[in-house]
Amino acid sequence: MTRLHCDPDDSLFSRAAHRGNCPAFLSTKGIFVAKKMTRSASLVFLVLSLTASAVGKQPAPEILGLRLGMSYSRAYARLNEIGQFKSEDEGQQVWTLSHDKHYQYVIIGFDRDRTVRYVTVLARPDGQPVNYADVGNLADATRSGAEGNLRYTWKANDKKGHFEYLAIAKGKDPRHLNRYAVKRLGVTTDEDERD
Amino acid sequence: MCPTILELFSSSAALSNLKLPANLKLRVTFFLALSFALVFPAFASTPPSGTLTPANGSSITWSGGGIAGATTDETTCVDGTDCDLFTVTLTGSPSNYQGLVLAISVAHSVSLNDYDIYVHKGTLSGPVIASATAGAPETSESVVIDPTLSGTGVYTVHIVDSAVAPGDPYSGVARITTPATDSQARGTAPTYANYQSPPGLGDGSGEPSIGANFNSGRIMTQAVFDTLQVSFNTSTSPATPTWLLKNGPNTTITTLDPILFTDSQTGRTVVSQLFGTTSLSAFTDNDGATYTVSQGGGIASGIDHQTIGGGPFRLCTANQLLATPVPCAQLAARGPITQYPHAVYYASQDIGDAEMALSQDGGLTYEAAHPMYTLVDCGGLHGHIKVAKSGIIYVPNKNCGGVQGLIVSMDNGLTFAVQPVTGSTPGTSDPSVGIGAKGRVYFGYIGGDGHPHISVSDDQGRSWRHDLDVGVPFAIHNAAFPEVAAGDNDRASYFFLGTPSAGNATGADTGTPFDGVWHGYIATTYDGGRSWFTVDATPGDPVQLGVICTQGTTCPNGTRNLLDFNDITVDKDGRVFTAYTDGCVTAACIAKGNNAAGTHTRLDNDQATKATIIRQSTGRGLFKSYDSTPLRP
Repeated sequence: MTRLHCDPDDSLFSRAAHRGNCPAFLSTKGIFVAKKMTRSASLVFLVLSLTASAVGKQPAPEILGLRLGMSYSRAYARLNEIGQFKSEDEGQQVWTLSHDKHYQYVIIGFDRDRTVRYVTVLARPDGQPVNYADVGNLADATRSGAEGNLRYTWKANDKKGHFEYLAIAKGKDPRHLNRYAVKRLGVTTDEDERD
Repeated sequence: MCPTILELFSSSAALSNLKLPANLKLRVTFFLALSFALVFPAFASTPPSGTLTPANGSSITWSGGGIAGATTDETTCVDGTDCDLFTVTLTGSPSNYQGLVLAISVAHSVSLNDYDIYVHKGTLSGPVIASATAGAPETSESVVIDPTLSGTGVYTVHIVDSAVAPGDPYSGVARITTPATDSQARGTAPTYANYQSPPGLGDGSGEPSIGANFNSGRIMTQAVFDTLQVSFNTSTSPATPTWLLKNGPNTTITTLDPILFTDSQTGRTVVSQLFGTTSLSAFTDNDGATYTVSQGGGIASGIDHQTIGGGPFRLCTANQLLATPVPCAQLAARGPITQYPHAVYYASQDIGDAEMALSQDGGLTYEAAHPMYTLVDCGGLHGHIKVAKSGIIYVPNKNCGGVQGLIVSMDNGLTFAVQPVTGSTPGTSDPSVGIGAKGRVYFGYIGGDGHPHISVSDDQGRSWRHDLDVGVPFAIHNAAFPEVAAGDNDRASYFFLGTPSAGNATGADTGTPFDGVWHGYIATTYDGGRSWFTVDATPGDPVQLGVICTQGTTCPNGTRNLLDFNDITVDKDGRVFTAYTDGCVTAACIAKGNNAAGTHTRLDNDQATKATIIRQSTGRGLFKSYDSTPLRP
């Protein structure tokens, strides 16, 4: 597959993507910017790539380069790259994203080993909308709720990290999500104990 | 109680006997109501407004008539039909009113009728800065406002028919006068008795819930593992309790948070044990004799700190349906519906947001949850759900943008607003709300100063007043686990654990162990939150020695035996009950607690988790209608 150039300014792409592994599919909810192709060729290619690759694609275990299981120090470094710290509540942090076209806030939680347990992003109200289908193949998701309160949930397995995780997209709009989260399963957290 | 115009017509025999399609009947009803309104127009106040100057004795009067009807609170009235407006303008600047107050009152003739007053600063959409909402029987309501605090300019007086039959017009007076000087609570303070669960029952009782079934008169309570039914034999005095184990199918399974909720009106009790992304839950309509297992919760990912509540649905009144535009949201079917008359709500939080799900079949099944707030708005953990008689839902939170917060839904949990509790500071215990019969919100919280505060709102949390530290009579320096219940609109009780010892009483206790003796205190108001009786409800018997850690699962061993909260409820007679976990139960521990010269650290504490109930013995309850039958121990 021809490798596309991913816009480094588009924070929807993971750091891994920036390192040169950028997939020809919006595996991290991204939007391609094909700078080195002609515009028409890019569009045709993009449509074809999306169509071909969407089938069977599962959401990645990361958002904005914040990967489930990532150490606190690495997550903190990445958060500093993409936003500013806003607040903390019981170990969960809220960061305001600086230049992301799609999302306004990222909320991140850690497990007892100080690795990333979940990442949630909240859509920017006046930002570029993200479709549920940009996250993953809707056919593989469990759909709940109704129009006005939709939720798509994917359960996936990260073979590299050897853990299961959930990807959850929620929104009021029938096509565009308001918030998107990935959450690691089967880890020991404060909430797993009697509270 | 008089019928509203719509009810009058819709219930008429002639109309109901007509074999017409439902929508045509509705149109006929509207036409008749409109004709009635044109022939018998609604009367506004006469005159509609007046002006007062900053001089003692400056006054204006007005009268109103022709409004009649019944409302649950201010939010369900329709101006000109069952509520009325009068505008007062204060001239000058606030400093001109030093030593003066604005006193507003309305009077009427028939004591069985019940008018209420809400005074908004500015227009009707402005904050409610004073209200008078006592119930029948009485023939007047009055409020006092300090213009040096609330300012000059326009005040809108909203006169609302709580329950008014036609033919009883009111007269209103607004005057500038001098303030009364006595703000202390008057009358006799309530007294309380403690009832410890018998050996073998309620021995592992962290964070208990309690509810009262108005139909059976029984109390239901649940701690970690045990669901207990408690009944009192009142043929003797003091009353003797009978404790029975009434575990549901899931109560004894080792899970996470335990929660019990009793809808006092319907008598249904829901028990829940948090279990990952939902909870193991069942409900009983006979105080635990039999249970029906339910779906558990409506949330697919909210794994923590669940709460269950319920009450009437938020529905449009007949008068609201006649208004244009209709000022309320109609409840549509959002899931299976049964004959169960009330809503049940399940809320929980995880991955950065908190959500709530509605059950329209009494807690058997739940819809998909709707988001309440995210961590951008408020801290993750929330207090417990309370539902007003008008169907408005309230969920308190200890930190929303640097103050305590109240999450409010006016549409059966579809959408939510976060209202800051102005003047408060964030704390470490979950706050609690009690809702008066006419919608007054009592918000009990532990402030950043560690003191037990309570604040009052009459406009669904948009504005707050009467913020008081009710621990002052006992010099309480640290408090934990605020729990509030209300009865009549002017009456509420506030239960908290408190200690007069200063220091880090709710931390991890990693340095020098905190030294303090904790008791259970109950503060009660009979005047809408202006004054409170605070009573030591566990005299001579401390609840805990040393620290009560409120830092959740990060608390070290031996500091969090009480877990995270207690609970309070009121029975059908207005008698107050609380449930708490007793951490100091042995004679040795109690003796240490009563010895002021000794140490009182966690090393002196029993670290027990014993289920205990406080029952009001004497004094006025939370329902005025029972005042003529004094409570007996």
